[in-house]
Parts: sequence; C-alpha cells; structure tokens
Amino acid sequence: MFSRNYREKTIESVLFAVSALTVVILFLICLFLFRDGLTLFEDVPFLSFVTGKFWYPTSVNAQFGLLPLFLGSLIVTAGAILFSVPLGIASAVFISELASPKVADFLKPFVEILAGVPSVVYGFFGLVVLVPFIRETFNLPTGQTALTGSIMLGVMALPTIISISEDAISSVPGSLKQGSLALGATRWQTIYKVTVPAALSGISAAVMLGMGRAIGETMTVMMVTGNTAIIPSFPGGILDPVRTMTATIALEMGEVPQGSDHFHALFAVGSVLFIVTFLINLLADAIKKKYRFKVD
Amino acid sequence: MTEAIQNVANPQIEVKDLNLWYGDKQALKNVSIQIPKNSVTAFIGPSGCGKSTFIRCLNRMNDLIKSCRIEGEVSIEGKDIYGPGVDVVDLRKQVGMVFQKPNPFPMSIYDNIAYGPRIHGVNKKDLEGVVEHALRSAALWDEISDRIRSPAFSLSGGQQQRLCIARTMAVKPEIILFDEPCSALDPISTAKIEELIMNLKKDYTIVIVTHNMQQAARISDHTAFFLMGELIEFGKTRQIFENPGEKSTEDYITGRFG
Repeated sequence: MFSRNYREKTIESVLFAVSALTVVILFLICLFLFRDGLTLFEDVPFLSFVTGKFWYPTSVNAQFGLLPLFLGSLIVTAGAILFSVPLGIASAVFISELASPKVADFLKPFVEILAGVPSVVYGFFGLVVLVPFIRETFNLPTGQTALTGSIMLGVMALPTIISISEDAISSVPGSLKQGSLALGATRWQTIYKVTVPAALSGISAAVMLGMGRAIGETMTVMMVTGNTAIIPSFPGGILDPVRTMTATIALEMGEVPQGSDHFHALFAVGSVLFIVTFLINLLADAIKKKYRFKVD
Repeated sequence: MTEAIQNVANPQIEVKDLNLWYGDKQALKNVSIQIPKNSVTAFIGPSGCGKSTFIRCLNRMNDLIKSCRIEGEVSIEGKDIYGPGVDVVDLRKQVGMVFQKPNPFPMSIYDNIAYGPRIHGVNKKDLEGVVEHALRSAALWDEISDRIRSPAFSLSGGQQQRLCIARTMAVKPEIILFDEPCSALDPISTAKIEELIMNLKKDYTIVIVTHNMQQAARISDHTAFFLMGELIEFGKTRQIFENPGEKSTEDYITGRFG
C-alpha cells in the first residue's frame, strides 16, 4: 500500500518537474536576454535606442537606432498578413465548408507539409524564383525587397492560419448553419453571414499566431529582403530592400566582440522581438479564451 | 389506416408514397398524408420512428445529408417541391422551421430577426417594422423591447426559442415546421410556446413533431402516429386519442411502449 502510494507520488512529481522545466527555461531566456539587453543603456540612452533612426553599429560614432529594424519587421509582417489572411481564411472556408470530405482529406496533409518545410528551403525558393520575378515585374535594380519577404512569410504563415481557422470554422455548431439555411439563406450567405462571424474569435487567434510566426522568422527574410537597414518609406518602401530585427541579430551576432555595445544592442533588439511576440501570443490566447464558442 | 387521410379538407401539403433511405437503411416507408391549411398537425411516435425525418422532407432539410435518398411526391399548394426547377431557397422561405434546441445566431436580438428579411432584400427603412411585428407576433416584444440590441444569448432558453419563432415568421412563410420545439425547455416556457403555436394557426399552417403526447393532444387539430418509418394512423386529434383505429396507436398513447 505504502509503496504504491509512494510510486504514484514519484511519478507525479517527475511529471510536474518536467512541465515546470518549460517555465524555468522561459524564465532563464528572459533573464539572460534582458540582462544583456539592458546593459546597453549604461552607454546608450534608452530613448536614442528606441527612437534612433540609424543603425550604424560598426562605424566610429556607432549608432544603435531601433527604428529601421523595427519598421523593417513591421512592413514585412504587415505585408505577409495582408497576403496570407484572405488566402488562409478562404482556404479554411473551402476545406471545412465547401469541399467534400474526400477533397478535404486530400488537401489537409498538404497544408501540414507546407508547415514542415524548413525555412531555408523557403528562402532558397524565394531567392531563385521570387526575387528575379519581382525584379523583372517591377523593373527594379534588385528583387530583394520587403514585398518579396512579405510574400514568402505570407506563404509560411498560411498553414498556421489555415489549420487554426479551419478548426474554428468546423467547431461552429451545425444547428446555426441549419437555422440559417432554414430561413432560406444560400450556402454562401450562411458561410459569410453566420459561420465565419461565429468563428471570428478563432480566426483572429489564427491571424495573431500567423503574425507571431512571421515576425519571428529569420532565415527566409534574411535571404530575400536585401538586409538594408534604412527606414522604409511608405508605401513605396515595400519595393525597397529592408532589414528586419531577426535578420540583424542573425547577421551580426557572429562577428560582434562579446561585451561590446554592439553585442548588447543585439540583445536589446532580441528583447524587443521577444516582448512583441510574447504580447502577440498573449493576445491570441486571450481572444481564444474570451470568445470560445458558448453554444454546445 | 383510417379514412381521414383521404378526407382532409383544403390540404396545403400533400405527400404521396414517400420513401426515404439513409444509405441502405430505409427510414420512411410509403408515407402518404394530406396536411390541411391553417391548422396544427402533430406528428407523434417513439424515437427513431421517422417523424423528424419526415418533417425535414417538407422543407428539404434532408438535402444536407449526402447519403439521403428520396422517392415519392411531396407537393405544397399543388407544386412538387422535389420537381425540377424548384428553388430550395424559395421553398424554405415558404416553409419555415423551428428546431429542437433554440439556435439563435451569435448576434443581437434585432439582427437575429433582421437576418432573414435582409437576405431576402427587405428595404432598410422597412426593417424595423418587420422586426417589431415579428417580435410582437411571437409574444416577445413586451419582454424585450428595451434591449433589442443586446446579444441573443442574453435571453433565457424559452425566450431564445420564441426569438427563433419570431425569426422564422419575419421571413413571412406560409407553413412553419416545429421539430420538438419544447424538448429543451421548462414547463412554463413550454406553456408559452404552446399558446403561441395555437395563436399562430390563424395565419400559418403548423406542423409539429413532439415527443410529448399531452402536448399533441393540447395543441393539435390533427395527429399522425409514426412507427418504424411508417405512418400508422392519421386523423383528428380527438379521434386518435380517444378512439384510435390501430392497436399500436392505442398502445403508444396509453404508454405501453415508447
């Protein structure tokens, strides 16, 4: 009796320790990221980092301005979302509402495979196919632009958006759809006026998570956006090269002397990235919880 | 079967030799019935007897089920609703349906009622009148007129069901089908809905599926008894309950099975 109790307790505590580990790891990441990031502000005023318009980390008068990188990430991510949200929702509606079960079962694995393709492969594809295409289509000196990055990131965010939206749309109770059809609504009116609005919270969460994926993506953007740390103009800047926060860290971390201002500046950029993605995930979670469907 | 089937005056719905299969399983066998206008017709019978399946043939809700196959004739006002060139949207406008569980849309009370009229192109300026009229007809206006813009889910279950009835009426159907409309409601809400249904027969033809025999006896003019996919008996409610022609009908209404 005693030994059985003892075993139960042991298993329980081991499992608890394992799940607690994720929290500890997250906490440690925060700690190291912020500790090194905050050290930057001993030498560089916080305001000049946050509102600085120039990122010249290696010149004699080094400047660590976050804005070009932050706006670079923003424009690429915004473009990706503009591109992938309509496409993703349309696919999700098709898979869950319009396609026959056979077609849906055929399509779903492809969406999942799309999620499993390594980002360097996406980058390679972008570099070989999309970059020349953009250059020729818009008659640009280089095809490595924010737009190119947006399209690639949009494709990469698609699986997240499709699968989560599809879940949300399929979980709308059939009774609602029947209620709409029984009033003489067509299938399309039902989808557009009842089913999708009812699934809107799940769809918003899907968009947020897709956005989180796009903002954090590194390898692909680095390969196709040209990595020029200049504040992008609006809206023409979408056809200029940009540099994202992620690409900056990946490009510069290898060559930076440990403990230098540049080193700490990269950590500060990383902290900003961490905070942004953390907030997005938090928001997605809150949306999902708050509006979880109450009928059935 | 009793002769009442042949002698219904003023039939609005006529069904001849209706057979229905879900895949290989036959759910309705040779059902023929004539449902009179401006009256309440109740379908009773044990679970799985086909009464809900049958009522869903009348507005072609069974179309949604892929494995479902139908033979026979269903005409409404002399027009075969399974005939070629029939627009299901028009049919469902003409034949409204209220479901077992209240299923308001996740929007405001007002938008729930306005949903049908909007998709059928009712003028914006007429909309408010249509909504108020529908809510009054469903005896809901006095209870909720001050919070018509609040979410439909804020209503009680019985109110939600009356909202669904109002929503159906807002489309101005001629026939309203009720598929066990009170099975999820408490006795007080049920009484309100029964009263409402009895008032509605002035303007609509009502067909109601119910598990509750007392309910059928209270509110219907005609009653049809289904068993294992067959229509066993159909006639005036009083006659069915007081002097049933078939042994199985008598057994069911006296509670010997079901």
